[in-house]
Amino acid sequence: MAKTGTVAVDEPVAPASSGAGGLGSFVVRRRALLLGALVAVFALVVGYLGGLLEPHFTAPGDNSPEAGFARDMSTHHAQAVEMAMVAWHTASDPEVRQIAYDIATVQENQIGTMQNWLVTWHLSPTGSRPKMAWMPNGTKELLPDGRMPGMASDAELQQLESATGSKVDVLFCQLMLRHHLGGIHMADAIISLSHDQPVVDLATTMKGNQQGEVTILKQILDRMHAQPLPS
Amino acid sequence: MSISSPQTGGSRRPSTRPAAGAKKAGSGAAAKKATPAAGKGGGGRPPITPVKVRQGRNWGSIGLSAIVALVAIGIVGFGIYEVLKSSETWKDQANAISGIVNYNKTDPALVKSGQHQYGHIDYRQSPPVAGPHNYNWQRCQGDVYPAQIANEHAVHALEHGAVWITYRPDLPKDQVEKLASKVRGNDFMFMSPYPGLDKPISLQAWGYQLKVENANDSRIDAFIKALRQNATQEPGAACSTASGNYITSTGTTPHDLGSPAPSAS
Repeated sequence: MAKTGTVAVDEPVAPASSGAGGLGSFVVRRRALLLGALVAVFALVVGYLGGLLEPHFTAPGDNSPEAGFARDMSTHHAQAVEMAMVAWHTASDPEVRQIAYDIATVQENQIGTMQNWLVTWHLSPTGSRPKMAWMPNGTKELLPDGRMPGMASDAELQQLESATGSKVDVLFCQLMLRHHLGGIHMADAIISLSHDQPVVDLATTMKGNQQGEVTILKQILDRMHAQPLPS
Repeated sequence: MSISSPQTGGSRRPSTRPAAGAKKAGSGAAAKKATPAAGKGGGGRPPITPVKVRQGRNWGSIGLSAIVALVAIGIVGFGIYEVLKSSETWKDQANAISGIVNYNKTDPALVKSGQHQYGHIDYRQSPPVAGPHNYNWQRCQGDVYPAQIANEHAVHALEHGAVWITYRPDLPKDQVEKLASKVRGNDFMFMSPYPGLDKPISLQAWGYQLKVENANDSRIDAFIKALRQNATQEPGAACSTASGNYITSTGTTPHDLGSPAPSAS
Protein backbone atom coordinates (compact mmCIF):
# COMPACT_ATOMS: atom_id res chain seq x y z
CA MET A 1 0.00 0.00 0.00
CA ALA A 2 2.86 2.35 0.91
CA LYS A 3 4.63 1.59 -2.35
CA THR A 4 1.59 2.22 -4.32
CA GLY A 5 1.24 5.48 -2.44
CA THR A 6 4.70 6.72 -3.47
CA VAL A 7 4.35 5.46 -6.95
CA ALA A 8 1.03 7.12 -7.25
CA VAL A 9 2.67 10.53 -6.93
CA ASP A 10 4.53 10.62 -10.22
CA GLU A 11 2.92 7.77 -12.06
CA PRO A 12 -0.77 8.10 -11.58
CA VAL A 13 -1.62 7.46 -15.18
CA ALA A 14 1.23 5.38 -16.55
CA PRO A 15 1.02 2.26 -14.32
CA ALA A 16 -2.72 2.19 -14.49
CA SER A 17 -2.77 2.36 -18.22
CA SER A 18 0.31 0.19 -18.62
CA GLY A 19 -1.24 -2.41 -16.33
CA ALA A 20 -4.41 -2.23 -18.34
CA GLY A 21 -2.31 -2.26 -21.50
CA GLY A 22 -0.44 -5.45 -20.62
CA LEU A 23 -3.53 -7.13 -19.40
CA GLY A 24 -5.45 -5.72 -22.34
CA SER A 25 -3.04 -7.13 -24.86
CA PHE A 26 -3.20 -10.48 -23.09
CA VAL A 27 -6.99 -10.43 -23.14
CA VAL A 28 -7.03 -9.10 -26.68
CA ARG A 29 -4.67 -11.87 -27.75
CA ARG A 30 -6.81 -14.47 -26.06
CA ARG A 31 -9.89 -12.98 -27.59
CA ALA A 32 -8.30 -12.87 -31.00
CA LEU A 33 -7.28 -16.49 -30.62
CA LEU A 34 -10.76 -17.46 -29.50
CA LEU A 35 -12.33 -15.43 -32.27
CA GLY A 36 -9.95 -16.98 -34.77
CA ALA A 37 -10.84 -20.43 -33.54
CA LEU A 38 -14.55 -19.63 -33.72
CA VAL A 39 -14.20 -18.26 -37.22
CA ALA A 40 -12.25 -21.37 -38.24
CA VAL A 41 -14.87 -23.69 -36.76
CA PHE A 42 -17.63 -21.67 -38.35
CA ALA A 43 -15.87 -21.74 -41.71
CA LEU A 44 -15.47 -25.49 -41.40
CA VAL A 45 -19.14 -25.97 -40.55
CA VAL A 46 -20.24 -23.73 -43.42
CA GLY A 47 -17.84 -25.47 -45.76
CA TYR A 48 -19.05 -28.90 -44.67
CA LEU A 49 -22.70 -27.92 -44.99
CA GLY A 50 -21.94 -26.32 -48.34
CA GLY A 51 -20.38 -29.53 -49.57
CA LEU A 52 -23.25 -31.52 -48.15
CA LEU A 53 -25.86 -29.25 -49.71
CA GLU A 54 -24.14 -28.53 -53.00
CA PRO A 55 -25.83 -31.45 -54.81
CA HIS A 56 -29.19 -30.31 -53.42
CA PHE A 57 -28.74 -26.76 -54.61
CA THR A 58 -27.39 -27.68 -58.01
CA ALA A 59 -29.71 -30.66 -58.62
CA PRO A 60 -32.75 -29.82 -60.75
CA GLY A 61 -35.78 -28.92 -58.64
CA ASP A 62 -39.32 -30.27 -58.62
CA ASN A 63 -40.52 -27.81 -61.26
CA SER A 64 -37.35 -27.80 -63.36
CA PRO A 65 -37.36 -28.60 -67.09
CA GLU A 66 -35.09 -31.56 -66.33
CA ALA A 67 -37.54 -33.13 -63.87
CA GLY A 68 -40.46 -32.44 -66.21
CA PHE A 69 -38.58 -34.02 -69.09
CA ALA A 70 -37.63 -37.08 -67.04
CA ARG A 71 -41.24 -37.63 -65.97
CA ASP A 72 -42.95 -36.87 -69.26
CA MET A 73 -40.45 -38.69 -71.43
CA SER A 74 -40.81 -41.74 -69.18
CA THR A 75 -44.55 -41.74 -69.88
CA HIS A 76 -43.94 -41.08 -73.57
CA HIS A 77 -41.42 -43.92 -73.75
CA ALA A 78 -43.73 -46.30 -71.87
CA GLN A 79 -46.21 -46.17 -74.71
CA ALA A 80 -43.48 -46.84 -77.27
CA VAL A 81 -42.42 -49.87 -75.24
CA GLU A 82 -46.00 -51.12 -75.15
CA MET A 83 -46.46 -50.75 -78.92
CA ALA A 84 -43.08 -52.34 -79.61
CA MET A 85 -43.88 -55.30 -77.37
CA VAL A 86 -47.12 -55.84 -79.27
CA ALA A 87 -45.26 -55.72 -82.58
CA TRP A 88 -42.48 -57.98 -81.30
CA HIS A 89 -45.13 -60.54 -80.52
CA THR A 90 -47.50 -60.22 -83.47
CA ALA A 91 -45.71 -58.53 -86.41
CA SER A 92 -45.09 -60.75 -89.44
CA ASP A 93 -42.19 -58.87 -91.02
CA PRO A 94 -38.74 -59.83 -89.59
CA GLU A 95 -37.41 -56.28 -89.96
CA VAL A 96 -40.40 -54.90 -88.06
CA ARG A 97 -39.96 -57.47 -85.32
CA GLN A 98 -36.27 -56.58 -85.07
CA ILE A 99 -36.75 -52.83 -84.82
CA ALA A 100 -39.59 -53.38 -82.36
CA TYR A 101 -37.26 -55.41 -80.14
CA ASP A 102 -34.65 -52.66 -80.42
CA ILE A 103 -37.09 -49.89 -79.52
CA ALA A 104 -38.61 -51.79 -76.58
CA THR A 105 -35.31 -52.60 -74.93
CA VAL A 106 -33.65 -49.22 -75.56
CA GLN A 107 -36.57 -47.14 -74.39
CA GLU A 108 -37.22 -49.30 -71.32
CA ASN A 109 -33.56 -48.80 -70.41
CA GLN A 110 -33.86 -45.04 -70.91
CA ILE A 111 -36.93 -44.98 -68.66
CA GLY A 112 -34.76 -46.56 -65.98
CA THR A 113 -32.06 -43.91 -66.46
CA MET A 114 -34.58 -41.06 -66.23
CA GLN A 115 -36.28 -42.54 -63.17
CA ASN A 116 -32.87 -42.84 -61.55
CA TRP A 117 -32.21 -39.15 -62.15
CA LEU A 118 -35.33 -38.36 -60.14
CA VAL A 119 -34.16 -40.61 -57.31
CA THR A 120 -30.74 -38.93 -57.35
CA TRP A 121 -32.36 -35.50 -57.32
CA HIS A 122 -34.59 -36.49 -54.35
CA LEU A 123 -37.69 -35.95 -56.48
CA SER A 124 -40.86 -37.97 -56.84
CA PRO A 125 -41.67 -39.72 -60.14
CA THR A 126 -44.86 -37.64 -59.98
CA GLY A 127 -44.72 -33.90 -60.59
CA SER A 128 -46.98 -31.13 -59.34
CA ARG A 129 -47.49 -29.38 -62.64
CA PRO A 130 -49.38 -30.38 -65.81
CA LYS A 131 -47.77 -32.44 -68.52
CA MET A 132 -45.32 -30.56 -70.77
CA ALA A 133 -45.44 -27.48 -68.50
CA TRP A 134 -41.62 -27.57 -68.45
CA MET A 135 -41.57 -26.68 -72.17
CA PRO A 136 -42.28 -23.09 -73.25
CA ASN A 137 -45.95 -23.20 -74.30
CA GLY A 138 -45.73 -26.95 -73.79
CA THR A 139 -49.21 -27.43 -72.35
CA LYS A 140 -50.65 -25.93 -75.55
CA GLU A 141 -49.06 -28.73 -77.51
CA LEU A 142 -51.01 -31.40 -75.68
CA LEU A 143 -53.58 -33.13 -77.84
CA PRO A 144 -57.24 -32.57 -76.92
CA ASP A 145 -57.40 -35.75 -74.83
CA GLY A 146 -54.25 -34.77 -72.94
CA ARG A 147 -51.77 -36.87 -74.91
CA MET A 148 -48.26 -35.62 -75.49
CA PRO A 149 -47.11 -35.02 -79.10
CA GLY A 150 -46.84 -38.15 -81.20
CA MET A 151 -48.61 -40.44 -78.78
CA ALA A 152 -51.23 -42.91 -80.00
CA SER A 153 -54.82 -42.71 -78.80
CA ASP A 154 -56.41 -45.53 -76.82
CA ALA A 155 -58.41 -46.44 -79.95
CA GLU A 156 -55.22 -46.69 -82.03
CA LEU A 157 -53.60 -48.88 -79.39
CA GLN A 158 -56.64 -51.17 -79.37
CA GLN A 159 -56.39 -51.33 -83.17
CA LEU A 160 -52.75 -52.33 -83.00
CA GLU A 161 -53.46 -54.84 -80.27
CA SER A 162 -56.21 -56.56 -82.22
CA ALA A 163 -54.56 -56.36 -85.67
CA THR A 164 -53.06 -59.42 -87.30
CA GLY A 165 -50.56 -60.22 -90.05
CA SER A 166 -49.16 -57.45 -92.22
CA LYS A 167 -51.65 -54.98 -90.74
CA VAL A 168 -49.55 -55.04 -87.56
CA ASP A 169 -46.40 -54.29 -89.56
CA VAL A 170 -47.88 -51.23 -91.25
CA LEU A 171 -49.78 -49.86 -88.27
CA PHE A 172 -46.82 -50.28 -85.95
CA CYS A 173 -44.46 -48.45 -88.33
CA GLN A 174 -47.00 -45.65 -88.82
CA LEU A 175 -47.69 -45.21 -85.11
CA MET A 176 -44.03 -45.47 -84.10
CA LEU A 177 -42.92 -43.02 -86.79
CA ARG A 178 -45.33 -40.40 -85.48
CA HIS A 179 -44.38 -41.29 -81.89
CA HIS A 180 -40.68 -40.75 -82.64
CA LEU A 181 -41.33 -37.35 -84.23
CA GLY A 182 -43.10 -36.24 -81.05
CA GLY A 183 -40.27 -37.62 -78.92
CA ILE A 184 -37.60 -35.86 -80.99
CA HIS A 185 -39.51 -32.59 -80.56
CA MET A 186 -39.45 -33.01 -76.76
CA ALA A 187 -35.78 -34.01 -76.79
CA ASP A 188 -34.99 -30.87 -78.81
CA ALA A 189 -36.75 -28.77 -76.18
CA ILE A 190 -34.73 -30.10 -73.24
CA ILE A 191 -31.47 -29.90 -75.21
CA SER A 192 -32.01 -26.14 -75.62
CA LEU A 193 -33.34 -25.60 -72.07
CA SER A 194 -30.96 -27.63 -69.92
CA HIS A 195 -27.34 -27.26 -68.85
CA ASP A 196 -27.35 -30.57 -66.97
CA GLN A 197 -24.82 -32.60 -68.91
CA PRO A 198 -26.21 -36.12 -68.37
CA VAL A 199 -29.69 -34.88 -69.31
CA VAL A 200 -28.49 -33.11 -72.44
CA ASP A 201 -26.35 -36.11 -73.36
CA LEU A 202 -29.20 -38.63 -73.09
CA ALA A 203 -31.63 -36.32 -74.91
CA THR A 204 -29.06 -35.87 -77.69
CA THR A 205 -28.62 -39.64 -77.93
CA MET A 206 -32.39 -40.15 -78.01
CA LYS A 207 -32.75 -37.62 -80.77
CA GLY A 208 -30.02 -39.14 -82.94
CA ASN A 209 -31.23 -42.69 -82.36
CA GLN A 210 -34.85 -41.88 -83.10
CA GLN A 211 -33.98 -39.84 -86.18
CA GLY A 212 -32.15 -42.90 -87.49
CA GLU A 213 -35.15 -45.08 -86.76
CA VAL A 214 -37.49 -42.58 -88.45
CA THR A 215 -35.53 -43.19 -91.66
CA ILE A 216 -35.76 -46.96 -91.21
CA LEU A 217 -39.50 -46.87 -90.45
CA LYS A 218 -40.09 -44.74 -93.57
CA GLN A 219 -38.11 -47.25 -95.65
CA ILE A 220 -40.19 -50.15 -94.33
CA LEU A 221 -43.43 -48.27 -95.04
CA ASP A 222 -42.15 -47.56 -98.58
CA ARG A 223 -41.39 -51.21 -99.08
CA MET A 224 -44.92 -52.05 -97.92
CA HIS A 225 -46.43 -49.34 -100.16
CA ALA A 226 -47.89 -47.58 -97.12
CA GLN A 227 -47.92 -43.92 -96.15
CA PRO A 228 -46.93 -42.29 -92.86
CA LEU A 229 -49.83 -41.01 -90.75
CA PRO A 230 -50.63 -37.30 -91.06
CA SER A 231 -48.95 -35.67 -88.09
CA MET B 1 -8.45 6.21 -27.70
CA SER B 2 -6.07 8.95 -28.65
CA ILE B 3 -4.95 9.40 -25.03
CA SER B 4 -4.54 5.84 -23.88
CA SER B 5 -3.06 4.14 -26.90
CA PRO B 6 0.35 5.89 -27.03
CA GLN B 7 0.83 5.38 -23.31
CA THR B 8 0.03 1.69 -23.37
CA GLY B 9 2.22 1.33 -26.40
CA GLY B 10 5.17 2.97 -24.61
CA SER B 11 4.84 1.17 -21.29
CA ARG B 12 4.45 -2.32 -22.67
CA ARG B 13 8.09 -3.42 -22.89
CA PRO B 14 10.18 -1.91 -20.07
CA SER B 15 8.20 -1.77 -16.86
CA THR B 16 7.96 -4.66 -14.46
CA ARG B 17 5.01 -3.18 -12.62
CA PRO B 18 2.47 -3.98 -15.23
CA ALA B 19 3.31 -7.64 -14.72
CA ALA B 20 2.51 -7.38 -11.03
CA GLY B 21 -0.59 -5.44 -11.84
CA ALA B 22 -1.56 -8.06 -14.35
CA LYS B 23 -1.12 -10.84 -11.80
CA LYS B 24 -3.31 -9.06 -9.33
CA ALA B 25 -5.88 -8.43 -11.97
CA GLY B 26 -5.57 -11.96 -13.28
CA SER B 27 -6.27 -13.47 -9.88
CA GLY B 28 -9.02 -10.95 -9.33
CA ALA B 29 -10.74 -12.20 -12.47
CA ALA B 30 -12.62 -9.02 -13.43
CA ALA B 31 -10.19 -7.42 -15.86
CA LYS B 32 -9.61 -3.68 -16.23
CA LYS B 33 -11.89 -2.15 -13.67
CA ALA B 34 -10.11 -3.93 -10.82
CA THR B 35 -6.61 -2.71 -11.71
CA PRO B 36 -6.98 1.03 -11.32
CA ALA B 37 -9.04 0.66 -8.14
CA ALA B 38 -6.62 -1.74 -6.43
CA GLY B 39 -3.46 -0.20 -7.79
CA LYS B 40 -4.00 3.50 -7.14
CA GLY B 41 -7.04 4.34 -5.18
CA GLY B 42 -6.16 8.05 -5.45
CA GLY B 43 -6.09 8.80 -9.16
CA GLY B 44 -9.77 9.24 -9.90
CA ARG B 45 -9.86 10.93 -13.28
CA PRO B 46 -7.48 9.06 -15.55
CA PRO B 47 -9.22 5.67 -15.38
CA ILE B 48 -12.59 7.16 -16.25
CA THR B 49 -11.61 8.17 -19.74
CA PRO B 50 -10.39 4.78 -21.03
CA VAL B 51 -13.33 2.96 -19.43
CA LYS B 52 -15.78 5.24 -21.17
CA VAL B 53 -14.02 4.81 -24.48
CA ARG B 54 -13.94 1.03 -24.11
CA GLN B 55 -17.60 0.88 -23.24
CA GLY B 56 -18.52 2.77 -26.38
CA ARG B 57 -16.37 0.42 -28.40
CA ASN B 58 -17.83 -2.69 -26.81
CA TRP B 59 -21.38 -1.76 -27.70
CA GLY B 60 -20.40 -1.45 -31.31
CA SER B 61 -18.59 -4.74 -31.41
CA ILE B 62 -21.31 -6.48 -29.42
CA GLY B 63 -23.87 -5.29 -31.93
CA LEU B 64 -21.68 -6.38 -34.81
CA SER B 65 -21.01 -9.75 -33.19
CA ALA B 66 -24.72 -10.21 -32.63
CA ILE B 67 -25.46 -9.53 -36.29
CA VAL B 68 -22.68 -11.86 -37.41
CA ALA B 69 -23.92 -14.52 -35.00
CA LEU B 70 -27.49 -14.15 -36.25
CA VAL B 71 -26.37 -14.43 -39.86
CA ALA B 72 -24.24 -17.45 -38.95
CA ILE B 73 -27.10 -19.14 -37.14
CA GLY B 74 -29.33 -18.36 -40.09
CA ILE B 75 -26.91 -19.91 -42.58
CA VAL B 76 -26.27 -23.00 -40.47
CA GLY B 77 -29.97 -23.32 -39.61
CA PHE B 78 -31.00 -23.06 -43.24
CA GLY B 79 -28.43 -25.69 -44.13
CA ILE B 80 -29.73 -28.07 -41.50
CA TYR B 81 -33.32 -27.40 -42.61
CA GLU B 82 -32.42 -28.14 -46.23
CA VAL B 83 -30.66 -31.37 -45.30
CA LEU B 84 -33.59 -32.51 -43.20
CA LYS B 85 -36.09 -31.55 -45.87
CA SER B 86 -34.26 -33.32 -48.66
CA SER B 87 -33.82 -36.41 -46.54
CA GLU B 88 -37.60 -36.70 -46.23
CA THR B 89 -38.50 -39.85 -48.13
CA TRP B 90 -41.68 -40.74 -49.97
CA LYS B 91 -42.56 -42.89 -46.96
CA ASP B 92 -42.34 -39.83 -44.69
CA GLN B 93 -44.51 -37.91 -47.13
CA ALA B 94 -47.07 -40.72 -47.23
CA ASN B 95 -47.17 -41.09 -43.45
CA ALA B 96 -47.71 -37.34 -43.12
CA ILE B 97 -51.03 -37.60 -44.99
CA SER B 98 -53.78 -37.57 -42.39
CA GLY B 99 -56.13 -40.53 -42.54
CA ILE B 100 -53.79 -42.71 -44.62
CA VAL B 101 -53.65 -46.37 -43.63
CA ASN B 102 -50.19 -47.87 -43.92
CA TYR B 103 -50.49 -51.64 -44.10
CA ASN B 104 -46.71 -51.96 -43.94
CA LYS B 105 -47.25 -51.24 -40.24
CA THR B 106 -50.60 -52.87 -39.58
CA ASP B 107 -50.19 -55.97 -41.76
CA PRO B 108 -46.59 -56.33 -42.97
CA ALA B 109 -47.09 -59.97 -43.97
CA LEU B 110 -49.83 -58.97 -46.40
CA VAL B 111 -47.68 -56.29 -48.03
CA LYS B 112 -44.80 -58.71 -48.51
CA SER B 113 -46.93 -61.38 -50.15
CA GLY B 114 -47.04 -61.07 -53.91
CA GLN B 115 -47.78 -64.59 -55.03
CA HIS B 116 -49.55 -65.32 -58.30
CA GLN B 117 -52.65 -67.46 -58.38
CA TYR B 118 -55.60 -68.04 -60.67
CA GLY B 119 -59.23 -67.81 -59.77
CA HIS B 120 -61.07 -65.80 -57.17
CA ILE B 121 -59.05 -64.43 -54.23
CA ASP B 122 -60.53 -63.18 -50.96
CA TYR B 123 -59.08 -59.94 -49.68
CA ARG B 124 -59.50 -58.59 -46.15
CA GLN B 125 -59.51 -54.99 -47.32
CA SER B 126 -62.15 -53.42 -49.49
CA PRO B 127 -60.85 -52.40 -51.97
CA PRO B 128 -57.75 -54.58 -51.60
CA VAL B 129 -54.32 -52.97 -51.17
CA ALA B 130 -51.84 -55.84 -51.50
CA GLY B 131 -51.51 -59.59 -51.35
CA PRO B 132 -51.63 -62.50 -53.77
CA HIS B 133 -52.98 -61.69 -57.22
CA ASN B 134 -53.67 -62.93 -60.72
CA TYR B 135 -50.80 -63.55 -63.15
CA ASN B 136 -52.14 -60.84 -65.42
CA TRP B 137 -52.19 -57.26 -64.30
CA GLN B 138 -54.86 -54.75 -65.16
CA ARG B 139 -53.55 -52.26 -67.67
CA CYS B 140 -52.71 -49.12 -65.68
CA GLN B 141 -51.50 -46.68 -68.34
CA GLY B 142 -53.94 -43.95 -67.34
CA ASP B 143 -56.94 -46.23 -67.90
CA VAL B 144 -60.31 -44.91 -66.76
CA TYR B 145 -62.54 -47.98 -66.57
CA PRO B 146 -66.27 -47.32 -66.82
CA ALA B 147 -67.25 -50.37 -64.76
CA GLN B 148 -65.95 -52.47 -61.91
CA ILE B 149 -62.79 -54.49 -62.57
CA ALA B 150 -61.44 -57.69 -61.02
CA ASN B 151 -59.59 -57.18 -57.73
CA GLU B 152 -57.18 -59.95 -58.68
CA HIS B 153 -55.89 -57.98 -61.70
CA ALA B 154 -56.01 -54.62 -59.94
CA VAL B 155 -53.80 -55.80 -57.07
CA HIS B 156 -51.19 -56.94 -59.59
CA ALA B 157 -51.21 -53.41 -61.04
CA LEU B 158 -50.70 -52.02 -57.54
CA GLU B 159 -47.70 -54.29 -57.15
CA HIS B 160 -46.19 -52.65 -60.25
CA GLY B 161 -46.40 -49.24 -58.59
CA ALA B 162 -49.74 -47.95 -59.88
CA VAL B 163 -52.21 -45.88 -57.88
CA TRP B 164 -55.78 -47.16 -58.16
CA ILE B 165 -58.57 -44.66 -57.67
CA THR B 166 -61.93 -46.22 -56.81
CA TYR B 167 -65.21 -44.43 -56.22
CA ARG B 168 -68.70 -45.31 -55.15
CA PRO B 169 -70.98 -45.38 -58.22
CA ASP B 170 -73.19 -42.65 -56.72
CA LEU B 171 -70.33 -40.11 -56.74
CA PRO B 172 -71.50 -36.97 -58.63
CA LYS B 173 -70.38 -36.93 -62.26
CA ASP B 174 -68.33 -33.75 -61.95
CA GLN B 175 -66.31 -35.38 -59.17
CA VAL B 176 -65.85 -38.54 -61.23
CA GLU B 177 -64.56 -36.34 -64.05
CA LYS B 178 -62.23 -34.52 -61.66
CA LEU B 179 -60.75 -37.86 -60.58
CA ALA B 180 -60.51 -39.06 -64.20
CA SER B 181 -58.50 -35.96 -65.09
CA LYS B 182 -55.84 -37.09 -62.62
CA VAL B 183 -55.66 -40.47 -64.36
CA ARG B 184 -55.95 -39.92 -68.11
CA GLY B 185 -52.63 -39.71 -69.91
CA ASN B 186 -50.68 -40.73 -66.81
CA ASP B 187 -49.09 -44.13 -66.69
CA PHE B 188 -49.13 -45.89 -63.33
CA MET B 189 -52.64 -44.58 -62.76
CA PHE B 190 -56.00 -46.33 -63.20
CA MET B 191 -59.49 -45.82 -61.97
CA SER B 192 -62.76 -47.75 -61.67
CA PRO B 193 -66.06 -47.60 -59.83
CA TYR B 194 -66.34 -49.82 -56.78
CA PRO B 195 -69.88 -50.68 -55.63
CA GLY B 196 -70.29 -51.09 -51.88
CA LEU B 197 -67.44 -48.74 -50.98
CA ASP B 198 -67.82 -47.41 -47.42
CA LYS B 199 -66.63 -43.91 -48.44
CA PRO B 200 -67.29 -41.99 -51.66
CA ILE B 201 -63.65 -42.27 -52.81
CA SER B 202 -60.83 -44.65 -51.94
CA LEU B 203 -57.23 -44.55 -53.18
CA GLN B 204 -54.99 -47.58 -53.19
CA ALA B 205 -51.26 -48.01 -53.67
CA TRP B 206 -49.33 -51.17 -52.77
CA GLY B 207 -49.69 -51.33 -48.97
CA TYR B 208 -51.42 -47.95 -48.59
CA GLN B 209 -55.01 -46.76 -48.58
CA LEU B 210 -56.73 -43.41 -48.17
CA LYS B 211 -60.48 -42.91 -48.08
CA VAL B 212 -61.89 -39.43 -48.65
CA GLU B 213 -65.31 -37.82 -49.01
CA ASN B 214 -64.70 -35.48 -51.90
CA ALA B 215 -62.73 -35.34 -55.17
CA ASN B 216 -61.49 -31.86 -54.24
CA ASP B 217 -59.65 -33.19 -51.19
CA SER B 218 -56.02 -32.07 -51.49
CA ARG B 219 -54.84 -35.31 -49.91
CA ILE B 220 -55.63 -37.10 -53.18
CA ASP B 221 -52.79 -35.34 -55.02
CA ALA B 222 -50.50 -35.77 -52.02
CA PHE B 223 -51.22 -39.52 -52.03
CA ILE B 224 -50.48 -39.81 -55.75
CA LYS B 225 -47.31 -37.71 -55.57
CA ALA B 226 -45.91 -39.66 -52.64
CA LEU B 227 -46.80 -43.18 -53.72
CA ARG B 228 -47.18 -43.45 -57.51
CA GLN B 229 -44.26 -45.63 -58.74
CA ASN B 230 -42.74 -45.49 -55.25
CA ALA B 231 -44.98 -47.95 -53.43
CA THR B 232 -44.14 -51.06 -55.41
CA GLN B 233 -42.82 -54.55 -54.95
CA GLU B 234 -41.31 -54.43 -58.41
CA PRO B 235 -39.66 -51.10 -59.25
CA GLY B 236 -39.39 -50.62 -62.99
CA ALA B 237 -42.26 -52.98 -63.81
CA ALA B 238 -44.55 -51.74 -66.54
CA CYS B 239 -48.19 -50.75 -66.47
CA SER B 240 -48.58 -51.46 -70.15
CA THR B 241 -49.77 -54.83 -71.30
CA ALA B 242 -49.20 -56.58 -74.56
CA SER B 243 -50.46 -59.48 -76.53
CA GLY B 244 -52.00 -62.19 -74.48
CA ASN B 245 -51.92 -60.25 -71.23
CA TYR B 246 -54.04 -57.39 -72.38
CA ILE B 247 -56.46 -56.81 -69.51
CA THR B 248 -58.47 -53.72 -70.32
CA SER B 249 -61.88 -55.27 -69.93
CA THR B 250 -64.12 -54.85 -66.93
CA GLY B 251 -66.03 -57.35 -64.80
CA THR B 252 -65.19 -58.79 -61.42
CA THR B 253 -64.24 -62.29 -62.58
CA PRO B 254 -60.49 -62.66 -63.16
CA HIS B 255 -59.55 -63.58 -66.73
CA ASP B 256 -56.96 -66.22 -65.91
CA LEU B 257 -55.19 -65.74 -69.25
CA GLY B 258 -52.63 -68.43 -69.84
CA SER B 259 -53.94 -70.62 -67.07
CA PRO B 260 -53.11 -74.29 -67.66
CA ALA B 261 -56.64 -75.11 -66.59
CA PRO B 262 -58.75 -72.12 -67.62
CA SER B 263 -61.52 -71.57 -65.13
CA ALA B 264 -62.88 -68.42 -66.65
CA SER B 265 -63.23 -66.80 -70.05
